[in-house]
Amino acid sequence: MISRRAFMKAGSLALVSLGADPLFVDRAAYALRHAGGRARGRTLVCLFQRGAVDGLSMVVPVADPAYWTNRRRIAIARPELLALDGQFALHPRLAPLRALWDRKQLAIVHAVGSPSLTRSHFDAQDFMETGAPDQRSTTDGWANRYCQNPTQHADTPFRSVAFGAQLPRTLAGSAPALAIKDLRTFGLREAREDGDRPLTTAFESLYGGNATGLVASSAAEGFEAIRMLRVANPANIGTANGAEYPRGELGSSMRQVAQLIRADLGVEIAFVDVGGWDTHVNQGAAQGQLATRLNDLGAAIGAFVTDLGDRMADVALITMSEFGRTVRENGTGGTDHGHGTAMFVIGGDVRGGAVHGNWPGLGADALHEGRDLAVTTDFRTLFSEVLQGHLGAVDLKGVFPGFTGSPTLGVYPSS
Amino acid sequence: MAALVATSLMAAPLPAQVAMSTRDSARHLLDRLGYGQAPGNVESIARTGVLQWVEAQLNEPGVDRALAARETRFEVLSVPTRDMVAMHAGQVRRAAADTAAGRRAPARTMADASNGRSLRSLNAELAAVTLVRAVEAEAQLHEVLADFWLNHFNVFVNKGFDRAYFRDYLERTIRPNVMGTFSALLSATAHSPAMLFYLDNAKSVAQRTGDERDRTPRVGMVGRRRGVDPARPPAASRAPSGLNENYARELLELHTVGVDGGYTQQDVVDVARILTGWSVGRGNQGPGFVFNARQHDRGAKQVLGVTFPAGGGEEEGARLLSMLAMHPATMRHVSGKLCARLVSDETAPGCIDAAVAAWRASGGSIAEVVRAIVHAPDFWAPENHHAKFKSPLEFVVSAVRAIGARPDGTPRLAQQLALLGQPLFQQTVPTGYPESEEAWTNSGALLARMNFAIALAAGSIPGVTTDLDRIVPATADQAALIDGINRDILGGALGPRTRETIARDIAGITDPVAARARAVGLALGGPEFQRQ
Repeated sequence: MISRRAFMKAGSLALVSLGADPLFVDRAAYALRHAGGRARGRTLVCLFQRGAVDGLSMVVPVADPAYWTNRRRIAIARPELLALDGQFALHPRLAPLRALWDRKQLAIVHAVGSPSLTRSHFDAQDFMETGAPDQRSTTDGWANRYCQNPTQHADTPFRSVAFGAQLPRTLAGSAPALAIKDLRTFGLREAREDGDRPLTTAFESLYGGNATGLVASSAAEGFEAIRMLRVANPANIGTANGAEYPRGELGSSMRQVAQLIRADLGVEIAFVDVGGWDTHVNQGAAQGQLATRLNDLGAAIGAFVTDLGDRMADVALITMSEFGRTVRENGTGGTDHGHGTAMFVIGGDVRGGAVHGNWPGLGADALHEGRDLAVTTDFRTLFSEVLQGHLGAVDLKGVFPGFTGSPTLGVYPSS
Repeated sequence: MAALVATSLMAAPLPAQVAMSTRDSARHLLDRLGYGQAPGNVESIARTGVLQWVEAQLNEPGVDRALAARETRFEVLSVPTRDMVAMHAGQVRRAAADTAAGRRAPARTMADASNGRSLRSLNAELAAVTLVRAVEAEAQLHEVLADFWLNHFNVFVNKGFDRAYFRDYLERTIRPNVMGTFSALLSATAHSPAMLFYLDNAKSVAQRTGDERDRTPRVGMVGRRRGVDPARPPAASRAPSGLNENYARELLELHTVGVDGGYTQQDVVDVARILTGWSVGRGNQGPGFVFNARQHDRGAKQVLGVTFPAGGGEEEGARLLSMLAMHPATMRHVSGKLCARLVSDETAPGCIDAAVAAWRASGGSIAEVVRAIVHAPDFWAPENHHAKFKSPLEFVVSAVRAIGARPDGTPRLAQQLALLGQPLFQQTVPTGYPESEEAWTNSGALLARMNFAIALAAGSIPGVTTDLDRIVPATADQAALIDGINRDILGGALGPRTRETIARDIAGITDPVAARARAVGLALGGPEFQRQ
């Protein structure tokens, strides 16, 4: 991968020669593909299910009698379930994930969550994003802190990228981070009559001359990202292997993540939000509200993996949600705010085809505060293990401050 | 005593006159006590005198006829509170009925059957009128402080009944109190349905006692429930079931003494106990503050070393709030936030000391505290001049003011502000929006500001009427054009390199109107205009 500094130099050359010298474009694109020590970088995709997903419906504990007795209306009928290992089964609408399970590309962690006892969505999301449960003074995100060590990371404004209008807390902090609503419209809106006087050039000159500190570096990263996107043009990369993304925001975001990865822009962390999991009312079972959301989730992930093909060897995708939902269905056919939930880890190098973590059971004595799936795996244990196992992180003390639990899940083979 | 302090402070000369020209002083005051210069402001202040302008801004604003005339066109300012509450209740009922009938995502969830208006559109009007006021009010300091206090006592407009309570929160709780005493403002927020609902105090009731309590899962007490939960509360806590610490904790941590204010978890619990029974009226009671004596914890409490004897009722809450409003840690914490807004992101101890002294001497008069800050040397220090990075709100309002543009009163300008990252009234967490440069600076946000500036200058931002002819004439003399922009829009802030860059950029544009739009857009989107 090309270094940011090198590209900035090449980029200023491009300002005068782009268009006049098509060779430069080819050279830059070539450099993007082949420069750097490692042929291809590794990427972690974080998919945040905002609203607290019902982990017990995603990964159903079929062998636990309490699942059936507590959920007379919303339990998913046995014949519909996609069996995994006798103890657990997947929601029928997650069929694409079942195929990944069979190929050992899907690992599941159940009864995972935060040690914080809050039942507030916003609190719990904040804690999961800062990676510092109940530590309110933490303002930056765990993924940004991971990216802050300059010697361990690729020198690119695309080190961490979120799809959306605003930067999520997970990526906020001093390391480069981009929020991109749409790859096709990112940048400055150049009018056609400005063709020979690009706004980007003018503003870059303004900020290069008079801005200082964070404003200067953030602006520089923005301009550089615009240029790199212009050269690499990921939005023009078509889908591969016959992958078909579902319509809607999630499918669009996942397609763009794949485009960025295949454009070799050096994305280490990509972040995608997907909402609609706060199913207090009429959650449904094999069909219904939640099933529709899961269908979209499964289809988007399935298309993403198909699209990337062999490239999945370098990619890990992890799902997360701020907490789970009550074991017992409520009076309106839904579930309320709970504690533990389930998370997926998908990738070529994961120890797939297994449900990891200790299953506490749904018996009355095992429940958290008498009502929720207990948390037996701290989310930081899982995140640490993915950072180490997939991205090769060495020291995570600064990423999850105060967290002393050592990774023991075995989601990745120990090296 | 307060009058004495005011007189003595007024007698002191402003440090400004030593360090800066009158015009520069005027611009700095407009940047910090207002949303930047509008056409003619600097000259007007230079004429009437800097000190006189500050004093006029520190008084309760008189009638602003032009603004008042515009305000009459906003229905949200006159809808009865009861109607808004009924609209929300109706929406909840219809949504439940639709759900029970198996209809998904009813299209009319947000529409009000009675007159076609919805709470969403009314609250969008509230954001629109807020921007009109920020841009056009003569009493600029009043608008800046209204935003400051609304943010200090943040409430998220879209949490349940707060959709119906928020208008009153802005118009009756915050705005009438922005220049009075901190004590009155604190008490108003504590009694407001919006805050009582947002931070869950409305459902905080005395804990059951004895063995019963020990066996009962204390749903209301688990963990921190900061922030909002727009969904329905868990089934187990739908009926009030115990103490809720949410408001008590934020009252101490955010509103008064601050996180380093020296309180303990037991203080939080006892503050919550003192405020048990403070709730919002239902049905025939009307949607105002109520004290439910039967839900009040009548035991003895102790907060920050002060004892509240057993048997107290509603009055012990008032006593608690008075004590907190004049607590030394509150003075320091809130003064520090005011100095950060009006002076510098970096802590300015001299400024805070001056503010605290004025707070103590005046019994917490906000006008006196602000006067002390303006008279503090830090306020005028050269390193604090043109140094603070604008929030998206400050950027948008100052850009619109700078070119003499007018918001058309539709919600469209507020939608632009939301795209820049600061949707009005929609910060979900009780901390409010951040004040610091780091929090607002990232690549995408800066690019969005550049896009906004170019579009604004070109007259293509929806919801704003632009007339650049009033400010800088279109001319073939590009040097004169750039000088005019620098003087009349940027207040002389453009550096030589920026002027050269703009000159180079527009050199080939022969159409004077196009050249002017481009030059103004670059100036407003450039680095100098991001600071105030």
